[in-house]
Amino acid sequence: MSAARASRAGLAVLAGAALAGCAKQGATVQGQEIHNLYVTIALLAAPVFLGVEGALLWCVLRYRRRGEGAAGQGSGGRRSLAVFFAIPTVIVAFLYPFGERTLADVQRAEPNPAVELRIDGFQWQWTFYYLNEGFFVTGKTLTRVPVIDLPVGAPVHVRLESRDVVHEFYVPDFLFMRNALPGRPNEFSFTPTQIGTFRGQCAEFCGLHHDQMRFVVQVVSQADYAAWVDQQRKAAQNVDCDPSGPPKLVSKDNSWNTGCLAVTRNVPFTVAVSNLDAGIEHNFALYDSAKRKRTLFQSLRFPGVAARTFQLQPLPKGRYYYQCDVHGPAMSGALIVK
Amino acid sequence: MAITEPRAPTLAPEPQRHWLLQWLTTTDHKRIGVLYLLNSFAFFFVAGVFALLMRTELAKPGRQLVTTNGYNQLFTLHGTLMIFLFIFPVLIGFGNYLVPLQIGALDMAFPRINALSFWLLPVGGLTILSGLLAKGGAAAAGWTSYAPVSEQGGAGQDLWIVGLVVVGTASILGGINFIVTILRLRAPGMTMTRLPVFVWSILATSLLVVLATPVLTAGLIMLFADRRLGAYFFNPTHGGDVLLWQHVFWFFGHPEVYMLILGAWGIVSEILPVFSGRPLYGYPGVILAFVLITALSFSVWAHHMFVTGQVEFPFFSVTTEMISIPTGVLFFNWLATLWRGRLRFEPPMLFALGFIALFLVGGVDGVWMASPAMDFAIHDTYWVVAHIHYVLFGGTVFGIMAATYYWFPKISGRLLSRRLGQWHFWLMFCGFNLTFFPMHELGLRGMPRRVADYLPDLGWTFLNQLATAGSFVIAVSMVVFLVNVVVTMRRPPNAPADPWQGNTLEWATSSPPPVHNFDRLPEVRSNRPLWDARQRAAAEAAEADR
Repeated sequence: MSAARASRAGLAVLAGAALAGCAKQGATVQGQEIHNLYVTIALLAAPVFLGVEGALLWCVLRYRRRGEGAAGQGSGGRRSLAVFFAIPTVIVAFLYPFGERTLADVQRAEPNPAVELRIDGFQWQWTFYYLNEGFFVTGKTLTRVPVIDLPVGAPVHVRLESRDVVHEFYVPDFLFMRNALPGRPNEFSFTPTQIGTFRGQCAEFCGLHHDQMRFVVQVVSQADYAAWVDQQRKAAQNVDCDPSGPPKLVSKDNSWNTGCLAVTRNVPFTVAVSNLDAGIEHNFALYDSAKRKRTLFQSLRFPGVAARTFQLQPLPKGRYYYQCDVHGPAMSGALIVK
Repeated sequence: MAITEPRAPTLAPEPQRHWLLQWLTTTDHKRIGVLYLLNSFAFFFVAGVFALLMRTELAKPGRQLVTTNGYNQLFTLHGTLMIFLFIFPVLIGFGNYLVPLQIGALDMAFPRINALSFWLLPVGGLTILSGLLAKGGAAAAGWTSYAPVSEQGGAGQDLWIVGLVVVGTASILGGINFIVTILRLRAPGMTMTRLPVFVWSILATSLLVVLATPVLTAGLIMLFADRRLGAYFFNPTHGGDVLLWQHVFWFFGHPEVYMLILGAWGIVSEILPVFSGRPLYGYPGVILAFVLITALSFSVWAHHMFVTGQVEFPFFSVTTEMISIPTGVLFFNWLATLWRGRLRFEPPMLFALGFIALFLVGGVDGVWMASPAMDFAIHDTYWVVAHIHYVLFGGTVFGIMAATYYWFPKISGRLLSRRLGQWHFWLMFCGFNLTFFPMHELGLRGMPRRVADYLPDLGWTFLNQLATAGSFVIAVSMVVFLVNVVVTMRRPPNAPADPWQGNTLEWATSSPPPVHNFDRLPEVRSNRPLWDARQRAAAEAAEADR
């Protein structure tokens, strides 16, 4: 049975390795609480695990058949039954409160968040709206992974939603994930405690390009954060292009082919929209600005593969904002009337 | 051997037909049981090949072997086939073969319904697989097929729905058949408290099937209505609710987990006593644990939904942790059965011991997930993949292999090779741990499940390579198993009626049993009628010697 001994010993070593804290430490206040819970459960579970595996191994070695002689025929009574029920009951009763305490800490809503984020998941990327700062950062399916900055030590409040199917916001270093559900927003708070770059990705299977739904959270100093916010605001204003024939938009993998269209002022114009995403709905809508106070044009949604051409009224000189209403800022751009 | 009610064969002799026609039209529970086993192992092979393709793809970052859509189909079909067309039906196959034998009956209560519930299985399974021929491929939304992703996709998804409705119907019919058989057809003296543990486990499984599977069928019909009939059950843009699918699915899905494991608990509880030379320790405790788990399994479903943030955490956390109490009782009883036994390490015993060692890992790593706050860190990562495989592979599949080695002589009349059985066990045991233990660490490092690809700089590559290597060791162990079966079947029958010194009635008849099962039944005065008979025979022999 030396092979049995070796492999069981291997199991124990691996279990020990898990115990030693392979779990990430948690780069947020809440993540650290969860890490502590991981260790607490490990400390409670290890003796049970090692005790049962040890007893099994001991039986295998001690009671293997040697020579003749009969095995004991006792099969227990009420007392052993009571003991067998009592032991796990005590362990569970002891364990449960630890989990509940951590849960309360993790679920607590932050009363005064420094950053208010709205995060939208869609097939297959994310849009992050900085509600107080007035800009957004968006990924584009297969083409752009969004990178967002957050200030270290400042509480962040998130309202998480989905525009289509179920997604999941997951940053492994924060030891936290939460579903983005269409029609059922989720809210949570966290406070980053470490400066650094943290990868995130969707953790709920959401269709074809689920594995590409990645994003990056950079936790930076307060000063760096302020500079980044400034830069994002300016970048939103700096898009530019020139008119060259009637605008054409092509959507593929839930991304437009361009983020900038240009037309001549005070003449009617057409926009040709071609939807190459089989079975997925898009539309074309034009607004006065990204704040969408005034709707200038809104087409019906239509599933791909299909093409439509829309007739729009003349517009005065200025910058306008267009998007697909299904996918929002992830499929948006500037319409510049010159 | 004392004899009660010698039973003459009461069945009319079967008309001589072509052997193939005999198998296609049989209503004999033993032949149907064999059909179940063959069909299940065929789907096991297909789903296992799918798993190897996935592991090969994941051995390296980047796309090597399959497209993203191909990968999504692979894990969907792997999960669906393993759960609905291998693990569950293989347990039911053993049940079909053994329940009438173990309770001393002639056949199942409804033999024709029994044949129907078998034949629906390959129909349903092939319907699901036929999606591979559809435009856009087979279903690719995971075995859980969460709406609304499952409302997208082409005909493959519809075939998945239709196939599962057929398979679900098969299991409901089978469940009713088992319940009636066990409650009504027991031999004289076979009271409920003398019922073999395996029969109890099949009874509990059947109750779960009859109560939970119709819920899945209802969900599948709603999903189909959404997809093809313009309904909006799960579509929030028209007042539907995405969480409704998850509630319906897991209200079935968690009892389903126990449908997949109860039978294996029954198998192990049969085998440990036989190869320890002891009675099952705490038989009433084991039955009580089965009953409590069956009842509790209907109250824990939303622990699969902690990360939705929209369920009652304390309730589902408490019920989930409570289910570990009767499960703990099972472990104590198994250990106490080994205690002071005289252990014989035949292949069935090796697999049964492996079951205990590995199922425990799946029980313990589940404790982390039962705590909602902890679950937020590891749910939907490879930790869950590790957990489900320690429960369903380390647990159930090791139990299934134990059952295969244990009952093979009864079914085929031939004993499988002991040496090849040992090779099979050790390769499978090591390969299994190599594949699935590193997945805990992968989960802790943040690798989500169901991703076709991952980036090279995340520290996941080496662990994935360990898992891939392990999966091929498992594949080799399966080749050894297959060789063992083929080599054994080419030999002439050699198995006596009772090669293991078993405890239960199936060992009282020849191997393989005649069509009518028993020429005579031993008296049933305890849950070990054959042990009693051996003791009496030994006492009588001693008496005669004196």
